[in-house]
Amino acid sequence: MAINVGYFVKESLVSFRRNWVMSLGAVITIYLSLLLVGVSVGSSMIAGQIVKSVEQKVSIRIFLKDGAAPEDVSKLQADLQGDSRVKTVKYTSKEEAMEEFKKSYSSSPEMVEQLNVNPFPASLDVETHKPQDVPALAETIKGNATFLKVCDNPTDPERSIRWGKEWVNRLFSFTRILRMVGVLFIIMLAVISLIFINNTIRLAIYARRKEIGIMRLVGASNWFIRMPFLLEGLLQSLVGAVLALASLAAFQIFAMPRIEEAVPFLPFALPPGAAVQIAVILIVGGSIIGLAGSGFALRRYLKV
Amino acid sequence: MISMRNVSKTYVADKPALSDVNVEIGQGEFVFLVGHSGSGKSTFIKLLLREILPTTGQIIVAGQDLVRMKSWKVPYLRRNIGCVFQDFKLLPNKTAYENVAFALEVIGRSRHVIRTQVPEVLRLVGLEDKMHSYPDELSGGEQQRVSIARAFVNRPPLLLADEPTGNLDPATSLGIMSLLSRINKTGTTVLVATHDREMVDSLRRRVIALENGRIIRDQDRGVYGDGD
Ligand SMILES: Nc1ncnc2c1ncn2[C@@H]1O[C@H](COP(=O)(O)OP(=O)(O)OP(=O)(O)O)[C@@H](O)[C@H]1O
Ligand SMILES: [Mg+2]
Repeated sequence: MAINVGYFVKESLVSFRRNWVMSLGAVITIYLSLLLVGVSVGSSMIAGQIVKSVEQKVSIRIFLKDGAAPEDVSKLQADLQGDSRVKTVKYTSKEEAMEEFKKSYSSSPEMVEQLNVNPFPASLDVETHKPQDVPALAETIKGNATFLKVCDNPTDPERSIRWGKEWVNRLFSFTRILRMVGVLFIIMLAVISLIFINNTIRLAIYARRKEIGIMRLVGASNWFIRMPFLLEGLLQSLVGAVLALASLAAFQIFAMPRIEEAVPFLPFALPPGAAVQIAVILIVGGSIIGLAGSGFALRRYLKV
Repeated sequence: MISMRNVSKTYVADKPALSDVNVEIGQGEFVFLVGHSGSGKSTFIKLLLREILPTTGQIIVAGQDLVRMKSWKVPYLRRNIGCVFQDFKLLPNKTAYENVAFALEVIGRSRHVIRTQVPEVLRLVGLEDKMHSYPDELSGGEQQRVSIARAFVNRPPLLLADEPTGNLDPATSLGIMSLLSRINKTGTTVLVATHDREMVDSLRRRVIALENGRIIRDQDRGVYGDGD
């Protein structure tokens, strides 16, 4: 069989050339599909990065009443530290809170000057290992006896504890939806490419029906007859994949730095290794689509 | 070489194309298959190539049971059967040489084999001077000789021809028939389905006559038919 590799390559190239309009059509749709797959995967990776960085900032803040007994505060701190979900607990005194406020409003000192007493409560900032634990941990804290003793609003302890409740929930459901839409999108595009390849291979079979008839007559094996068509489908999808990768690379090189400049506060970049991952996804995905598309066409239009 | 037992083939109900055919053809024989249009000659040939399966009955070709044969084995059966048709079935974008070479190429023969066997068989059919002509540059008789060369290049033990002279004038037909006879002399079994009365009568070979799908006559050194 080894001697025939040249034959297969020659045949699929000839067919590509003969059917170049349809082949080009297939290549372009595969290109667009894979490009969109690449964009979906890439942007969901970037979104993942952003979500992660925002999630890292999600923490619980507990406000303490003025004059809370230091030993109670330390007890609460120790309780929290003992919880396996908790990563760090940081104490911020009234003075530090004031300093922080002054720093963030340094551009308007008159506002700071108007404050003749320190209105800021001391606080404990609790960070968890996993952002998903935040809501449950907040509930646990509300039931803690020491917390009820030291919180700055004993009548309504609910208000002494802050966390981005709504915000965290919305973020989680948003990323879930994003992921689902991405998957749906990719499935749809894969189906469209499959239909296109199926069609080009059908035309290629039609264009070569005479050759196929003679091949059958002289006893060419079924795989030998199928092989050029499989290769043709593969070739089309690989050309599409390479073009899509080139476009994505161009976007990454020329457009991404601009976007990063425009939104410096968000980590608007691909995680490390993502480029290789995307390349593998596109090439493997493209090959599967190409082989499957021509496989379907062969099953339906080439009775051997 | 060929054995058919109680073979029937029905395409559409109540109108069998072949019914209850029993035939034995030995190795090295030369046989004419004659009959009116629609009598079942092409169906007979297609059954031997296993393009179609019989509705009932048993067919053995070169020791293999075609009815029981797995479909992936069919290509290997066909490598032992050369086949020639009325319309030649040559590829118009390939030269005579390339057309014959194609038959070897697609069954995985090496380039060395192709380079020695193709010119040899083209010499056998008398086309050594026209090897590099395209089909539309060849006469009908020459095109048919290319197709015989392609059928024979792999030296199959069995050669089937379905009206190989149907489109050719009498002189050219004679040339094709004598070529088939020469191929038969190398030991190849040859079966020719034909309308060509003159040819059959002049060659005096075994004749199997079909009528409405039945064998009405099977005669050694026979003629086309008695008045029909
Ligand atoms: N694929 C098919 N479907 C239905 N009927 C068919 C099919 N092929 C052949 N037949 C019928 O079977 C009968 C025998 O056909 P066949 O082609 O074997 O005849 P033939 O002897 O080769 O005729 P000719 O000399 O015209 O080539 C005819 O009545 C034909 O109409
Ligand atoms: Mg016929």
